[in-house]
Amino acid sequence: MKKLLSIATVALLLSTVAFADIAKPGKSPVSNGKPSIETTLDIRLDSEAKEARLIIPRSQIRQLRAELESLDDGSDNMAAAVATSGSSRIQTIMSGLFLSLAFVFGGIWFVRSGRAASKAGKGAVAIVVISFVSTTATFVFANAGPPSEARSITGKMFAPAVHMYGFGWGKVKLEVSDDDKSSVRLIVPNPPKTAGTPNEEE
Amino acid sequence: MGSFPLQLSIISVLLFAGPHNVMEFRYFAARMPVRWGRSRLYYSIGIGGVLLLTAAYLTLYFSSGSWLWSMESWQNYAAVWNTTFVIWVGLLFYLRGKQRSRDWSVAFAIVFLLAALAWVVPQYFSLALVYIHPFIAMWFLERQMRRTKPEWLRAYHFCLLSIPFFLVALWAMLWGQPNLSQETNLFWRIGQHAGSEVLTSISSHVLVATHVFLESIHYFVWLLLIPLVDKRALPWNLNDVPMFASPNGIPHIFATFLVISLAITLLLWFGFAANYTTTRDIYFAFAIGHVLAEFPFLVKML
Repeated sequence: MKKLLSIATVALLLSTVAFADIAKPGKSPVSNGKPSIETTLDIRLDSEAKEARLIIPRSQIRQLRAELESLDDGSDNMAAAVATSGSSRIQTIMSGLFLSLAFVFGGIWFVRSGRAASKAGKGAVAIVVISFVSTTATFVFANAGPPSEARSITGKMFAPAVHMYGFGWGKVKLEVSDDDKSSVRLIVPNPPKTAGTPNEEE
Repeated sequence: MGSFPLQLSIISVLLFAGPHNVMEFRYFAARMPVRWGRSRLYYSIGIGGVLLLTAAYLTLYFSSGSWLWSMESWQNYAAVWNTTFVIWVGLLFYLRGKQRSRDWSVAFAIVFLLAALAWVVPQYFSLALVYIHPFIAMWFLERQMRRTKPEWLRAYHFCLLSIPFFLVALWAMLWGQPNLSQETNLFWRIGQHAGSEVLTSISSHVLVATHVFLESIHYFVWLLLIPLVDKRALPWNLNDVPMFASPNGIPHIFATFLVISLAITLLLWFGFAANYTTTRDIYFAFAIGHVLAEFPFLVKML
């Protein structure tokens, strides 16, 4: 029993130490063949904005649409391949359902067969449970996300404390502008600081 | 086999496809009891499953180019067929376990795991069935040898163990070879059958050679080794077929089936001579029936 507890403790400690947070691959400078247009992104912090908005000039939307159409004309196979590559929703549901059934039926058979009561069976169950816990702990700890400041598009995203993550995301509303002379603009809500709140940029 | 895989594939199918099906039918007939008795449920599900799955497969096969299907719905239907197939095999294992008073319900756990794979990686699953099928004949031979020639088992097991070495040697010889010619529809079909469009990173030369090697063993087992091990499987020993020789048998019906199967074999040869590509496509579509029919009789031997 003591041995088992020691092994379990070591496995759990090792799982927390094993930082499995693999960095995102860097963006390739070479175009990957997807439709794109060169433009400028203008980021503005607006204290009166209530939500993040991405405003794209209509002319640039038209350009992008033209690129997409030319891509569609010459690449039906690629579209079919893209449509068929990856799992569809029904594939995911059915495979998950059958996987669950496999575990349920396997577990029931294991218990009914009496193997669970034997020493070897108990050992096997202990190993499986410990492996599952340590794997889950690794996943959970390794996938701990960035703070809330990096998960919504506000002025706080630009704070140095958030820079260490190197990325962030949040909801944005896409709008089309009829002003063809303007660039693509990202309006970022930047609510004024209330009294007593520390200035994060200092 | 490594040098001329396309030619060997064409010749082996031409010469042996039909006769090996006749030998399989003859072997299954010899193993089928006249009265099913307590195996009634087992044979009903076995034979019924063969008929239903064959009909569903043929529907899938011959309607694959129809405008009624979208790519996604066709793929889903193929996955449903694969799932039904593995569940049917699992059910046969479970029923056989009940007949032998053993708990083989673990078959369902394995079957559901396979079903999950059939949905996650449908193309690889279907290709795996193509490559596993030749080993079914070897399993039949092993089970038959246990019953009629147990003294040959040791040598047979050594022969089985040598197969991976031959495969590795074949792969080592052919790994760097370019893809085989696809100048005709037939050559393309042979490569596609061996998985050239699924395993695109592997040369079709390797795939076709591997498939031809395994299929040749499969034909060899049915045509030569099983009759050698079990004299009841010799096609002319009709007195060893219960359906023919038993007083309660159905001799006329069985004889008719036998004559029809021989006639189909002759027709197949004429078809191959007249239009090899089309005949090959039709043959492999209907051949799923014989592949499915192997399972009830194999599981019954366990």
